[in-house]
Amino acid sequence: MKKRENRLILGKGQYADDLEFANMAHLVFAGSPHAHARIVNINTEKALCLPGVLKIITGRDMIEHTNPLPVQANFKGDGWTWRLAHVYAIPDDKVRWYGEPIAAVVAETEDIARVAADLIEVEYDLLPVAGNAFEALEPGAPKLYEDWEDNKQVHLKFDFGDPDKAFEMADQVLKVSNREGRVTGLPIEPRGCVGVYDSKNDFLEMWGSFQTPFLSRHNIAATLGIPEAKVKINSVDIGGAFGLKIHAWKENVVALASKLIDRPVKWMEPHRDFVTTGPHQRDVFYEGDIAFKNDGTLLGLKATVTHDLGVESTNKGIAALSIFPACSSPTNMYKWVGMHIEGIGTVTNKSFYCAYRGYGKDKGIKFIEAGINQVAKKLGMTPEAIRFKNFIQPHEFPFHQINNYLLDSGDYPAILTKAIEMAEIDKVRKKKKQLEKQGRYIGVGVITAIEPAGVAVPNCQMGGITQARVMITPDGSVEVYSDRTEIGQGTEISHATIVGDILGMNLEDIYVKNVTSDFIGQGPLSSRGAVYPASAIAKAAKILKQKVIHSASTLLGIEQSDVVLEKGYIFSASDRGKKLTYKEFANKVFFFPGPRGLDPEMLKKHDHLLDVTTSWYSPTTPDTGSSYTSFCVSADVAVVEVDVETGITKIIKYVHVHDAGTIINKQVVDGQIHGGIVQGIGEALYESLDYDEEGQLLNTSFSTYLIPTAVEAPDIEIAHLETPSPFSETGSKGMGEAPIIGSKAVILDAIEDALSSFNIRVNDSPASPEKVRKWIREAQSNNNGGNLR
Amino acid sequence: MKISLSLNLNGQDMEFEIDVKQTLLEVLRNNAKCQSVHRSCEEGECGACTILLDNEPVNSCLVLAASVQGSTILTSEGLVREGKPHPLMKAFTDELGLQCGFCTPGMVMNAYALINRSGDKALTSEVIRKNLEGNLCRCTGYVNIINSIQQAQKAKIAGEWW
Repeated sequence: MKKRENRLILGKGQYADDLEFANMAHLVFAGSPHAHARIVNINTEKALCLPGVLKIITGRDMIEHTNPLPVQANFKGDGWTWRLAHVYAIPDDKVRWYGEPIAAVVAETEDIARVAADLIEVEYDLLPVAGNAFEALEPGAPKLYEDWEDNKQVHLKFDFGDPDKAFEMADQVLKVSNREGRVTGLPIEPRGCVGVYDSKNDFLEMWGSFQTPFLSRHNIAATLGIPEAKVKINSVDIGGAFGLKIHAWKENVVALASKLIDRPVKWMEPHRDFVTTGPHQRDVFYEGDIAFKNDGTLLGLKATVTHDLGVESTNKGIAALSIFPACSSPTNMYKWVGMHIEGIGTVTNKSFYCAYRGYGKDKGIKFIEAGINQVAKKLGMTPEAIRFKNFIQPHEFPFHQINNYLLDSGDYPAILTKAIEMAEIDKVRKKKKQLEKQGRYIGVGVITAIEPAGVAVPNCQMGGITQARVMITPDGSVEVYSDRTEIGQGTEISHATIVGDILGMNLEDIYVKNVTSDFIGQGPLSSRGAVYPASAIAKAAKILKQKVIHSASTLLGIEQSDVVLEKGYIFSASDRGKKLTYKEFANKVFFFPGPRGLDPEMLKKHDHLLDVTTSWYSPTTPDTGSSYTSFCVSADVAVVEVDVETGITKIIKYVHVHDAGTIINKQVVDGQIHGGIVQGIGEALYESLDYDEEGQLLNTSFSTYLIPTAVEAPDIEIAHLETPSPFSETGSKGMGEAPIIGSKAVILDAIEDALSSFNIRVNDSPASPEKVRKWIREAQSNNNGGNLR
Repeated sequence: MKISLSLNLNGQDMEFEIDVKQTLLEVLRNNAKCQSVHRSCEEGECGACTILLDNEPVNSCLVLAASVQGSTILTSEGLVREGKPHPLMKAFTDELGLQCGFCTPGMVMNAYALINRSGDKALTSEVIRKNLEGNLCRCTGYVNIINSIQQAQKAKIAGEWW
């Protein structure tokens, strides 16, 4: 059962770039060369004269033909700031970041459109640049949105438990901080789509790399001012997403273009544009005080996390919302007395902030994990000892955390114990001492994390909506529908396995359908696949199973309790001769049930068709307010060697122990772990989007924005524990983000341990060779009175 | 300017009328409809468009089509025989060496060349990693790709290969 993989491997994928329609035109965006400038005039005359150019759409056309981009998240808490911007997919008044589209050219070919884009003449009036989150908040800083008081889009304040009491109880308080560079998830395939406006039926249909078709339909229809019922969005094969293909905004322009020229229009984003005008993440500074007792008991945290959002992040992207989990996740897997956390989001002249694997949970956990390791160091404890002291214990689940998370299940001590054993941590520490004498520096990092998964937050487009349908067709095969697009995370295998297990069917007879906007749901995000869609599908399959049993008891003339579903057969447990294949069974139910027909009671209840559509919502969220339903557990131990001459870090060993509850498919789960870990390594060591003082992005390609190749990626040792979640239908927990959370933290921790003799704080990612060398030089300068090596 | 380009593509002699400015990637995708050859960075960094040009793996986005007149080209489509996946492809699906599948055809072509030139000596993880440096994957962390290639080499040594 790998229908999709077997198709893709033959080269039969149908990705956005493979889409072709008769009479199709091509769209290319022209971008701003400036980070912040007023648009004085746009002259498209020369471009329009180029043979083959069909239409040029500017900001003025967007105002004439569309609505502003709809608001995707809106929060108005007491004492909170949450500002909204009035923006269009193409601006008319001014550009706010390097690369922002100033026009879209539609032409007969992509090449013609590209040449024409270069012929558009724009007169700009340059404005000063708000270059980072702290500069942008200074008095007199250039404002991005004139109607705002300042550049602060978001300021949230949270009190969890009793923070003041925590600090009163404390023997000691330690100040810790952590900076993360700006990154992008950067799947190998950029975004792309085709819009087909059918003027006869006044109907828009789109195909493309839509991670969340139902949400994209809402946003595209709202922008174009047409009823959602007249729009259908289809996802095709998606070449990786990681959150970056959730929200449509450039896609709105493609839809408009198709409507204006009454032809199919294709847009395939050049890779460079995917970096300059694509979703960005991280770029935070987290700073605060941890309160604790001398015996290592953790008590409290008072901290502020400041986000550099880039331009507004409530309309193009939805990641202003990620400030919530960034603030609430530091509780991680420990008992606390109280926390006070503030989250600030500042707009700057950079590309917009959107979802990427981790979505803020990574920031809070990385910060607290590094902080706890500092506390341990201060108290002369090992990182594992302080964790064992503070873990929530296995008998305490479900555990109501001070931040309202209802932690579902787990065995936190067992996870860490297993990781320590696998990494042979004591041996590594002995070896570290020996090697140091030879001038070699190895270090071991230890991080434990829970992954809040399966989100439901009110007042935004991630409210927990989901729907699933399981249907047996007259030929006895099964169709499975949900909102969970396949972005490489194993939707097809997982959903088919769930349905096959419940209905006793062969996987080959189960067809997991491509996702369209016909199904309600917020799609795969926040690791909700194994929580929401999988639960909805399991629930639908269980209801369907009852229908099968009911019908089968009539058709076979046996008691319902006697019906067995197994390996594609429906039979009597007491008389195995009485059996039907699913094919025979379905054919009878739909068309030829026999002289007496189906059970009259079933018909009276209109309960005879083998088709179930249902929904699922978290059993914990309504009462507790927990925004997540399941909490995957993980421990990461990494051993690295740092070359102090070059600053290069090499990963010698990587161990990951994981508990995602009941595992639906181990190969899929392992694949998610491998990929997440290596993305985290990219963040820890290499990846950084760097803007210069004028707001120009310096690294816009794979040769300058460095993601790990096979050479930098390590071999990875994995072990699984399986503690079922009591709250999902299958016992599974959402997973896929824990590995990136753990790995980006553990690598820095290991580097710090490797450089322990230099007494360096490694709290600024990426820990690139240049930075490591700088830290070492500074440490030597401080320690040796300026005697540089 | 249009010219005629002769290629032996996936075992068949073919002629294409192309523009002199076209890259080999564009000819393979648009003229020959070999859509396994994926377009991403278009500057030779990601490897998604890797094909074999006279048995050597190259980034087809960096090759001017007009410069390879008369060459032999192999793409993923050419590894399929009578609709059946090549043993290397089967190893990728068995080991789940693909997730989103976008980098996969390029990865497969590079791996095919590697296995073909490596003889019977078992390919170590280190050697495979070095050879895959030009093919970026963002989903798999490369682990299962390496497993796939090691499995495929065993198939070749067992004589299950073409």
